[in-house]
Amino acid sequence: MIFTRFTDRTRACVEAAFDEARMLGHDSLGDEDLLLGILRADEGIGAEALSSLGVTLEGTREQSEEMLSYALSSIGISFEEVRREAGDAFEMRIPDNRRIPFSPRAKKALIEARKEMRRMGDNYLGTEHVLLGILGNADGIGARILAGMGVTPEALEERLFELRGRAAG
Amino acid sequence: MNEKTRTTVSGPEDPREGLEAVVALRRTLEALEAAQVENAFIAGWSWARIAEVLGVSKQAVHKKHAKRIRARYPGEPPERKGS
Repeated sequence: MIFTRFTDRTRACVEAAFDEARMLGHDSLGDEDLLLGILRADEGIGAEALSSLGVTLEGTREQSEEMLSYALSSIGISFEEVRREAGDAFEMRIPDNRRIPFSPRAKKALIEARKEMRRMGDNYLGTEHVLLGILGNADGIGARILAGMGVTPEALEERLFELRGRAAG
Repeated sequence: MNEKTRTTVSGPEDPREGLEAVVALRRTLEALEAAQVENAFIAGWSWARIAEVLGVSKQAVHKKHAKRIRARYPGEPPERKGS
């Protein structure tokens, strides 16, 4: 089972991630949505590490929307114009009756998170492990959004281990 | 730029960029369809007429959009134009 050993907080972050994915029109839950979920629902070192590096929920949502807009512009479509033409009824939100699956990248991030947990000798799966799982895929959208905000995997990893050290006393 | 160097630069020829454009377009298309069906509904169009223009069955349009749109406009009478 994918949620085995997840802390309550990590579960809450995954739930928040589904909410974020739905809101942004993501028809599958991407690794960037896991990042958004942590930013929204975590009170532990995952969110603390991110915010200390200047990563915010709003900023990350904007980056995600910008990537969509950029991808459309690469094939000559203006997202702004589509939205304007469609009027007030236009929204990216996925309707409630449609289920959203995990994307392959999100699954991979959660599998990597479990490996990180074992590697670090922990018996719980926390948001720090999920973050490391996201960072593990440099080609993933989460890592690219972070890179776009000037956050390197090394810097985030270092901050996570610093905060863990502090928490452990 | 010759063919050999062209294949090594990332840009419009980058497969990832091309594939990500497909994803962005699919998501935008879904939102656009939902919005335009809603717009037609507000304009008083029947499900049958909406379906006809979209080129799909009335059942398909109804199944995909009716619940969401009806929830948004609970007061709408069932009698629609063009049915």
